Amino acid sequence: MKRAVAALVGISMLLIASSALAHHSRAMFDQTKQVTLVGTVKEFQWTNPHCWIQVLVPDTKNPQAEPVEWGIEMGAPVELMRKGWKPGSLNPGDKVSIVINPLRDGQHGGLVVSVTGPDGRVIVRPAEVTE
Amino acid sequence: MIANLTGEIVTRRAVSATVIALLAGCLCPARAQTSSKERIKAFAKLPDWSGIWELDAFVGQSDGQQFSAEGQRRLKEYAAALRPSFSPEYQAKYDEIRKKVEDAIAADPAHPPVTHQPLCVAPPFPATSSPGMFEWRVTPEETTFISTVGAVRHIYTDGRSHPPKDELWPTLMGDSIGHWEGETLVVDTIATRKRLYMGELSGFFVPMSDQLHFTERIRMVNHDQMQIEYTVEDSVALTKPIHVTITHVRVTDFNRMIEETDCEENERDPVVNGRITTIAH
Repeated sequence: MKRAVAALVGISMLLIASSALAHHSRAMFDQTKQVTLVGTVKEFQWTNPHCWIQVLVPDTKNPQAEPVEWGIEMGAPVELMRKGWKPGSLNPGDKVSIVINPLRDGQHGGLVVSVTGPDGRVIVRPAEVTE
Repeated sequence: MIANLTGEIVTRRAVSATVIALLAGCLCPARAQTSSKERIKAFAKLPDWSGIWELDAFVGQSDGQQFSAEGQRRLKEYAAALRPSFSPEYQAKYDEIRKKVEDAIAADPAHPPVTHQPLCVAPPFPATSSPGMFEWRVTPEETTFISTVGAVRHIYTDGRSHPPKDELWPTLMGDSIGHWEGETLVVDTIATRKRLYMGELSGFFVPMSDQLHFTERIRMVNHDQMQIEYTVEDSVALTKPIHVTITHVRVTDFNRMIEETDCEENERDPVVNGRITTIAH
């Protein structure tokens, strides 16, 4: 079973603040669920404190409907760069497949788990952690 | 000037006399004219802590999302060592705060409550040693700790004492003085904010007393590892000191210190009414 950072926050840490102190909790994402989005990049935001992918996802059951925009939260730019990402890794119009942990509040958004880029290469695949 | 530089003399590696002289001149122009030779000798006695470092548990977590299995194991070890033994009075404070956070989460799990605004200031000492990457600047008069998430600690090693009580007030980093025991930097820190961060639930601070006091013993174990032994004491809030030794490892996949705590640029997880409220688009 995949476990995320949230699995660790039940522990008293003091010195080891985790990213939660430098940034924030990720409890707004349901990290027990995964959703796969297949769509087109609208915008790739290489920004602090987090990078975001805005992706347009067509409704496969109703191709005539307007695609739905989803916002995908990622790590900070320096964190992504250490994983091989660059500011130009994604561009508007790129076809992507993104696995996310969805927001609990029902908005079309989530926390990135992995991204398969336009060339078919998986450009983020965080280590799977088993418990 | 270097009264506290004691112990064996260790030659600083890979630092030419020219560079040292330049540093001496750049960092302390007022004394460069009169004591640059002495200062070069003082530099030569210091260990070489150059490079970029990170907490060992965070290796492989640089995507900002998940810890490695080894990282999880290390964090659990640290957490076990760090669990405080509160006095009855402070245990009651802890219980009350934790219950409030629990209730707030239960009331609205989709929007985690935060008790530590603002979110984007530097992590306060002693949490400085966890997220981000670190650099050390070692000079005879001061060792400076710099992190990519905005923390800067000034550890004075020029023989000074802490300021008198009427010149101290609580700050994020507190007041740190240090001395060298061989290649180990021994640091004494007081006057931090009177609180400790708990990583439980969505994270919260527990108040501590004005007796809160930290000691660190910092040394390089080998070329790729630094070790920090922490002792946390508070004779009012804790029934016994907290002792933990953490390891920083050399970063080998990145060579720049880039600021990453700038929430003004594109904050899409703002705090609204004390809760994180993500803006999906």
